[in-house]
Amino acid sequence: MTSAFWQRFLYPGALWLLLFFVVPFGIAVLISLGANNEFGGVTYGRNPSNYADALDPLFAPVLLRSLGYAAATAALCLLLGYPVAYCIARFGGRRRNLLIAAILAPFLINYLVRTYAWVALLSDEGLVNRVIVDSGVAGRPVGFLNTPWAVIGGLVYGYLGFMILPIYASLERMDSALIEAGKDLYGSPRQTFWHVTWPQTLPGVLAGTVLVFLPAVGDFVSAQLLGGPDTYMVGNLIQQQYFGAENWPFGAALTIVLMAFLAVFMLFYLRGASSSARREALV
Amino acid sequence: MTADGMRRRDFLRGSAGLAAGALVGAGCGVGPQSAPKVVAQKAAAPKVDGDLLIFNWTEYMNPKVIKGFAKQYGVKVTTSNFDSMPGMMAKLRSGNRYDLIFPTADYVNRLNRQGQLRQLDRGVLRNSAGIYPFFDDPWYDKDSAHTVPYGMYTTGIAWRADKVGELRGSWNDLALEAARGRTFMLDDFQEAIGQANLLNGFDLNTTDPAELERTKATLELQKEFLRGYSTNPAPNLVGGTAWVHHAWNGDVVNARNQSKEPENLKFQTCREGIPVGSDCMAIPANARHPGTATLFIDWILDPENAAENVSWFGYPMPIKGTEDAFAELAADDPQIQITTDDLATGVQFRELPVDDKAAWDRLWTEVKA
Amino acid sequence: MSVAAERPVEVARPAARRREPRRFDRPRALWAVTGLVYAFLFAPILIVILFSFNAQRSLQTFDGFSLRWYRDFLGDESLRASLFTSIEIAAITTVVATVLGTALALGMTRSRSRAGRASGLVLLIPLVTPEIVAGVSAFVLFAQIGVALSVTTIVLAHITFSISYVCVVVRGRLASMGTEIEEAALDLGATRWQAVRLVTLPALWPAVLAAAMLVFVLSFDDFVLSFFTTGEDPQPLPVRIYSALRFGISPTINAIGTLMLVVSAAFIALAVLLPRLLGRNESGLATLTGRSGQ
Repeated sequence: MTSAFWQRFLYPGALWLLLFFVVPFGIAVLISLGANNEFGGVTYGRNPSNYADALDPLFAPVLLRSLGYAAATAALCLLLGYPVAYCIARFGGRRRNLLIAAILAPFLINYLVRTYAWVALLSDEGLVNRVIVDSGVAGRPVGFLNTPWAVIGGLVYGYLGFMILPIYASLERMDSALIEAGKDLYGSPRQTFWHVTWPQTLPGVLAGTVLVFLPAVGDFVSAQLLGGPDTYMVGNLIQQQYFGAENWPFGAALTIVLMAFLAVFMLFYLRGASSSARREALV
Repeated sequence: MTADGMRRRDFLRGSAGLAAGALVGAGCGVGPQSAPKVVAQKAAAPKVDGDLLIFNWTEYMNPKVIKGFAKQYGVKVTTSNFDSMPGMMAKLRSGNRYDLIFPTADYVNRLNRQGQLRQLDRGVLRNSAGIYPFFDDPWYDKDSAHTVPYGMYTTGIAWRADKVGELRGSWNDLALEAARGRTFMLDDFQEAIGQANLLNGFDLNTTDPAELERTKATLELQKEFLRGYSTNPAPNLVGGTAWVHHAWNGDVVNARNQSKEPENLKFQTCREGIPVGSDCMAIPANARHPGTATLFIDWILDPENAAENVSWFGYPMPIKGTEDAFAELAADDPQIQITTDDLATGVQFRELPVDDKAAWDRLWTEVKA
Repeated sequence: MSVAAERPVEVARPAARRREPRRFDRPRALWAVTGLVYAFLFAPILIVILFSFNAQRSLQTFDGFSLRWYRDFLGDESLRASLFTSIEIAAITTVVATVLGTALALGMTRSRSRAGRASGLVLLIPLVTPEIVAGVSAFVLFAQIGVALSVTTIVLAHITFSISYVCVVVRGRLASMGTEIEEAALDLGATRWQAVRLVTLPALWPAVLAAAMLVFVLSFDDFVLSFFTTGEDPQPLPVRIYSALRFGISPTINAIGTLMLVVSAAFIALAVLLPRLLGRNESGLATLTGRSGQ
C-alpha cells in the first residue's frame, strides 16, 4: 500500500497536536511579552522585560537545583530500575507479564495520595521512625521528610515506572542468542553484560532517562509536599507566579525559558541517538 | 533524511505554529484579561431558582449542613475547591460561573472594585440579625452590600508542648533554638511577610522599601530555623514533624481532633501583633442561581447550623449563638478565641496596590529561592 | 557477531539444552534488589488501603476497623460526582487518544515519508514536557479562544498529552510487524481499507489495548492538567485531593485512594481479559512492552 495512502493516517493526530499543543505555545509566548494588569490579567504588548526578569541570576540556583534533583532522580531510577527490568526480562519466566504489571500497580492509586502515604509513613512519629526508635537502631527519630532526599525520593517514586518500561522493552526485543554468544566469547557474566547486553539496551536506557529527567525538572508537587526551605524548584517558582503573585506574563516567560533549556537537552538526545534504531526505542 | 534535516523541519513546523498562534492571538483580542466590568445587579430574592454550585476551600463547611440544605429545599449542591485566592481568581476570570464563593476580606475589596459581586440585601435574610454589628459596614464592603462574613481566624503559633515546653508569646518563637530544624512557617506570602513586619514593629501591610528590606532579612534569619513551609499545620504537628508551626487558630482545633494527646498541642497569639481576618460568603455577579445562593446564605446564618459548622471546621463565626460551640473547642486556650474586640484591635491584611504587591511577591520569591 | 545474528535460532536451541546452571542463572542479589524495589513501590499502597479502614481520625496510628470513611465518601454527593467525572474523563480520553494515536503510529511507520518522521519528533515533545507547562498552555489556549472551562476542556487537554503515549506503544508493535500479510490481502482482492480493517488492526489489537490501559490510568490519575482546565463541572478527584493536601486533609483521602485503585484495577483487568474473552491467546499486558507472541 502506497505511502500516500498511509500518510492520510497522519492527518487527524497531527492536526490535533498542532491545534492543541503547538498553538498554545504560541499563545504562551504572546503572554510572556505582555504586562501584568492590576486585576491579575494580561495586557498584551511588547515587553521583553519579562525575559530579563526570568534570566535574573537570582533564579540560577533554583534552575541548577532542579536540574540537579532531576539528574539524581534519573540516576536513581536507572540504578533501581535496570536491575528490576533485567531480572524480570531474563528470569521472570512465565510470570513476567504479571511482574511487569505489578510495577505499574502503584500508579493505579493517585500520585498525590501515594505521596501523602509516604508523609504519613516517614514523619517523625510515623511507622518507620517508631520502628527505628523502638528497635533501638537510633535514639531519636530520623528526619526523613522535608529534605532534598525526600524530594528526590518522591520524584523517583513518581517516575520509576517510566524508566523500567523502556528498558524492559529493550531487553525483551534483544535476541537472547546474543547473550549466549557473548558468554561463549567473553566467559564471565560481567563481561557479557558490558559488551553485549548493555550496548543493546542503551536505546531503552536513553529513552527512559529522557522520559524521567525532563519532566522531573519541572515537577512542583514533590517539592511542595515533601520539601524543606531550600528545595525550591523551577516548577514551584512558576507555580508561585501563576497562583501566588498572579503575574502571568512573568510566569509565561519563565515557562518559555524552562522549555528552551529542556529543548537544548532534547537536541543533545536526538543528536546522540542519531541512529534510527536508537530513536525508535522511544519513537 | 539526516537528523539535521529533521530538526530543521521540526523548527520550521514549530515556528509556523507559533506564527499561527500569534495571528490567532492578535486577531481574537479576547484573552485572559480581567472580566468585563459588570454593573452590580440588584439583590436576588431568597428563593430556589436552580441547583447550587459552591466554590470553597477544602474541608471548610460541614457536609451535614450542606446536606440539610439540599434536603430541605430539594436542590442539588455541588462543591468545587480551590487552594488559594489567586487560584480562585484565575477560575473566576476564565469564565467559570459559580453561585457562591468564599473570598477573604481583602479579595472582597478587589472583587468589589471590579464590580464582580452581586448585591446582597441583608434585609431579606431571616438570620441576618445574628451577625455581629462589627460587620455591618466593614472596611472591605461598604454597608455590607455584597457579602456576609463566614469564618474568622487569627494567625499565631501552634506548638507541641511535650517537645518544647512553653513559648514566650512573641513572633520570635519562630526562631526558637530548641525547635531549630523542627519549625514550619505558613506557605503564604502575606502571612509570612506580615509576621516579620509585626516582629520588626512595622505596619502589617507596610510597603516602605526600607522596611521591606529589614523584613526580608528577618525572614532569611528565620529560614535557618525552618524545616519547611506548609499550609497544613495539623498533620505536621500531629505527626511530630513540626514542633513549632506558624498556624491559624482553627488548625490547632483540627490538630487536637486528630491527635491522641490533644493536651500537648497549644496555640498562642503574639504580642507584637495579631493578624485577624475573616472570610466572606459572596455571590458572583455572573452567578446562575443567585436566589438559591441567597437562600443558602440564610441557612448558614441560622444559629443552629452555624454552631454545627463551627464545631466541625474549628473556626469561630461572627454569629450570635455560636459562641458556646466555639468556647467548647477553645476550652483550654483563650487565645484561640476571637472576640469582637479582637476584630477591632487586631490588624488585618489589606489589598495592596499593584506595584507594592509586586514588591511583596518579589521579596517572597527571593526568600524562598 | 554477524554469525550469531544470521543463525540465531540454531544457536539458541541447542545452547539452552546443553547449558549447565551457573551461579549467574539464579542471581540472588538481583532478586533481592527487585524485591526491595517492589517493597518500596507497594509500601505506601498498603498504608493507604489499611488506613482507609481506620476507625479513628488519625493518619498515624491504626485503631480499629471501620468503614466510616467510605460512608463519608459515598455519602458526599460532591465527592461521588467527582469520582464519576474522573471516570468519564478517563474513558473519553482513552477512546479518542487511542484512535488518534494508533492512526498516527500507522501513518508514521508505514508511510515512510518526511511528514511521518517529522511527526515523530513533534510527538516526543508532549512526552517530555513538564506538566505545569502543559497545564498552563491548555489554560491559556482556552482562555484565548474564549472557550469556557468544563469537562470538555479537561478531556481535550488529556487527549493532547495521551496521543504520544499511544503512539509510542503501538509503534513498538508495528515495528516488528511486516507488511507481507497486508500485501497478501491486497493480492487476494481486498481493498486497501479492507486490508487495514481486517488484517492490520486485528494484529495490532493487543498493542492498542495496552496503550488504552496506559492512557486510562494516566488520565484517571492526572492532577496538573485537570487542575488548570477544570470548569464548573465537578472537579476530577485528583484536583480535590490536592486541595485537601494543601489545606485540610482527612482520612477520607485514603478511602478515595483505595477506591481509585479499585476502579483502575477493574479497568486493567477488563483490558487484560478482553482479548482472552474474544478468543485471542495474547494478553494485552505482553504488548505494553512491545514484545508479542510470548
